[in-house]
Amino acid sequence: MTVTARGPARAEPGLWALFAAGGTVAAFLMPVHAAILGIAYAAGWLPADALAYDRILDLARAPLVKAYLAVLLVPPLFHWAHRFRFILRHQAGIHRARRAVAVACYGTALIGTGVAIALIVRI
Amino acid sequence: MTAPPRTGGLLPPMPRTWWLRSAAYRRFAARELTSVFVLAFTVVMLLFLLALSRGPRAYGRFLGWLGSAGAMALFAAILAAGLYHTLTWFRLSAQVQVVRVRGRVVPRGAVAATLTAAWLAVSAGVAYVHVWW
Repeated sequence: MTVTARGPARAEPGLWALFAAGGTVAAFLMPVHAAILGIAYAAGWLPADALAYDRILDLARAPLVKAYLAVLLVPPLFHWAHRFRFILRHQAGIHRARRAVAVACYGTALIGTGVAIALIVRI
Repeated sequence: MTAPPRTGGLLPPMPRTWWLRSAAYRRFAARELTSVFVLAFTVVMLLFLLALSRGPRAYGRFLGWLGSAGAMALFAAILAAGLYHTLTWFRLSAQVQVVRVRGRVVPRGAVAATLTAAWLAVSAGVAYVHVWW
């Protein structure tokens, strides 16, 4: 028997792949950034000019760093969207309006993607 | 009476507090909630880039906020959730993905250990470029 997925169900494998990619990116890269920006900087453990404006701007304008930032910021948005969609269903027990919930979650991720790409390109 | 949730008609609806019932369910729920901190992290990084793109004064204000107690508390929560996500993600990756070397299945513990070692190396590389390059 062949089952052909239609409409939203056809998007599911692609959305799942983005979820998995985002989970891997977040697993590898989120702790070190949170530790540097959120803990080490505030605690005064970094060298004085580590986060200096000119230095970070130069860094962010390097093409390789721009590509890195796209990887750091975009897939994790879809990781969140996928998970949050199912948190609302399974933990919060919201079973109505499934399509609206999915549109809101992935829509938020798409908006975040647009903002991230615009910032990365224009910086 | 309100209509029961749609469950396909085969199962009785679950109470909303099902995930409080056992330690394993609570760990599952905690894991799922780490995704909210993934979003918080991404938003803060976008604000970082926004401040950077708006010039030295906006960037200075962002650094000022980074030094505040509120930002530190937020980042401490992001870091804790991030570490929980990282370590459990590697464990579940080892469960999901069977790795074979020369036809032999690599033990799950070894796969998770390799991922953890790779994570430490990548983190050191990122820290080096971010702070000392």
